[in-house]
Amino acid sequence: MNSVFSNKTALSIFVLPTLIIFCTIVMIPIFVSSYYSLLDWNGIGKGTFIGLENYVEMFTDSRALKSMQNSLLFAGASIFIQLPISLLLALILASTVKWEGFYRTVYFIPVLISTVVIAQLWSKIYNADYGLLNTLLKSVGLSSWAQDWLGQKDTALVSSFIPTLWQYIGYHMLLMYAGAKSISQDIFEAAKIDGASRIRTAFSITIPLMKPILKVCLVFSMIGALKVFDLIYVLTGGGPFFSTEVPSTLMYTTIFDTYRYGYGSALSVFIILECLVFTVIINKFIKTD
Amino acid sequence: MKTFLKKTAGIVLAMGIVGSMAACSSNSNGEKQSEKGGSGETIKLNLWDQSVGNTDPSAKLLPEIIKKWNSEHPDIQIERTGTTGEQYKTKIKTAIAANEAPDVFYGMGGGSFMQPYIQSGNVLEITNYVTDDIKTKLAPGMLKAIETDGKIYTLPVYTHIANLYVNTELFDKAGAQIPTNYSELLAAVEKLKAAGITPALMGEKDRWPGMYWYDIVAMRQAGNDAVIEAFKDPSKWDSPDFVAAATKMQELAKAGAFNSSMFSMSYDEMLGAFNAGNGAMMFQANWVNAGIEDPSTATKGKVKVIPFPIFEDGKGSAAELFGGGVDGFYVSSSTKHPKEAAEFLAYLSEQLGTKGFLAGAGLPSWNIDGLDTSSLSTLDQSAADIMITATSFITWWDNILPAESAETHKNLIAQLLASDITPEEFCKQMAKLKPTELTL
Repeated sequence: MNSVFSNKTALSIFVLPTLIIFCTIVMIPIFVSSYYSLLDWNGIGKGTFIGLENYVEMFTDSRALKSMQNSLLFAGASIFIQLPISLLLALILASTVKWEGFYRTVYFIPVLISTVVIAQLWSKIYNADYGLLNTLLKSVGLSSWAQDWLGQKDTALVSSFIPTLWQYIGYHMLLMYAGAKSISQDIFEAAKIDGASRIRTAFSITIPLMKPILKVCLVFSMIGALKVFDLIYVLTGGGPFFSTEVPSTLMYTTIFDTYRYGYGSALSVFIILECLVFTVIINKFIKTD
Repeated sequence: MKTFLKKTAGIVLAMGIVGSMAACSSNSNGEKQSEKGGSGETIKLNLWDQSVGNTDPSAKLLPEIIKKWNSEHPDIQIERTGTTGEQYKTKIKTAIAANEAPDVFYGMGGGSFMQPYIQSGNVLEITNYVTDDIKTKLAPGMLKAIETDGKIYTLPVYTHIANLYVNTELFDKAGAQIPTNYSELLAAVEKLKAAGITPALMGEKDRWPGMYWYDIVAMRQAGNDAVIEAFKDPSKWDSPDFVAAATKMQELAKAGAFNSSMFSMSYDEMLGAFNAGNGAMMFQANWVNAGIEDPSTATKGKVKVIPFPIFEDGKGSAAELFGGGVDGFYVSSSTKHPKEAAEFLAYLSEQLGTKGFLAGAGLPSWNIDGLDTSSLSTLDQSAADIMITATSFITWWDNILPAESAETHKNLIAQLLASDITPEEFCKQMAKLKPTELTL
């Protein structure tokens, strides 16, 4: 058996099926899309080769630029709002509180629910006529604050960020919780003997030792934000007036509503490159051993 | 211990691969056998449609019609797949583009949705299969409506026209009069608002419900002929008539005619709100009839359908209708059994067209002389009565405009409703649209 694992040919044969599947459903479509992105094509019939014109249009079209700006804002919100909350919850849970298992399960439930269900749920919360949020505001005498949360340009973007941030807090919390739990108890005991406070322990021991998992969370949360689609699509469909548009919803409308496969493909290539670049940057700046 | 673990891991991995390979191969064997097995000669045809909603009468009729066909034609068996509206559009587009279209499928008719597929040859021409017998059964004018450059690709099922739905109970409560012209409409809006009732509901999140409003306003203001001219020559969108139409549209929005939550309300939510009696008016096509007439709604029996009010200064008459497009089924050019598929298409279209009309799914495009229409609901009957008065039809504008222009058109109307742009700016932008590719 040992010889099998050191035999390069055998290894290649074992890896081959996965490699083939990965190539056919991930790599090849990416290359095909890159080719499509150079065409002026309506999805049927023959396309005409137009070089980089789709990309030029993408970076001059105010709608596309707005969508990129939105997704970057969203990525920022994920990193600076979502992850700190997850980290806080994870640290509290890991420091052996009462009913640890119960809280862990409750925080994780939103991750298990389908995003479409979550979007429907929140669109009912935000509903201008009978929504929970407006009813609540009215019942505490703040009826002047009640408004059409998803139907106005200036509130729609923030209102559509909140459900996604909320949904994945539990996911990152669980990853971080597992990271914090896997740190050897001996170190904590030593810190306790030295008289370190809980907060001091968290900042000097737990968080530094969780660095690998924090990096994973950072990458996941960043990429998740850059390619977010389902929740925005169901909640607002990118509207009103493109104020909640992100590159993936714009890609969808371009391809399926206006039949511009070439331009849509250019957007999809942009999303892939954007995710790759940020992953590389994060990996470069946060070094783990 | 370590070597033991490694060995087990290796064996498990290896077995996994063998297992999945075996699974694959046995599957494909099974498929081949079942294809060869059976009666040997049976032809299987796939049918895709978008009728799955609870209140959609076609959703109930389709399985019955297919069951009857299957029992009458043991050698031609139909397999049906239903998918809901917006998803269906995506699904069928993807399937056609990948050359994997089903034998027979539903196509949003009369416009830009099917046009590219007809041009690219993905849809089978069925002119030769449409016998004189079939032609005589069609309602007058329908044969012309389905022809594209003298060729036939589809048969009609039923048609739809958009009218104003008014909740008479709410109008009575507010002491408002049911409007017949624009000033009465504005007066009704004021009265309804004063009584704390939402005058009209609009699900503008989906953008096309708002488009229906602007389009009918433009048709009343400029008249159908001018609209058709503008479709061919978009520069005509920037003319006084269309500016007046856009001004009226914005005036209605500013007067608070529509629900304040319109930009977050979807089409489905709009229907729900109207059926629950939360708004007094709705401008929609007769596919909403069945939902309004449903015994579970608060509005059953209280809703009237009327032609959209005419404009005192407008060129359009009440007999110039919005709608009339022909929705129908198409045969894919990649089908292996064109003759059988066309035969089924004719059967399906006629059966669904006549039975669907009686069940309230749409207005008839087949001859209904011999039919007993006493079972029709009042809403369907009034819609059919309005349709008879028609002097001309213009179907949904997003079906007439090329796909990209249709999107722009809908977005512009949303901006107009939000007073983001002036009526003049709106018309300047409209003038930049592409001309229609259809022969009108």
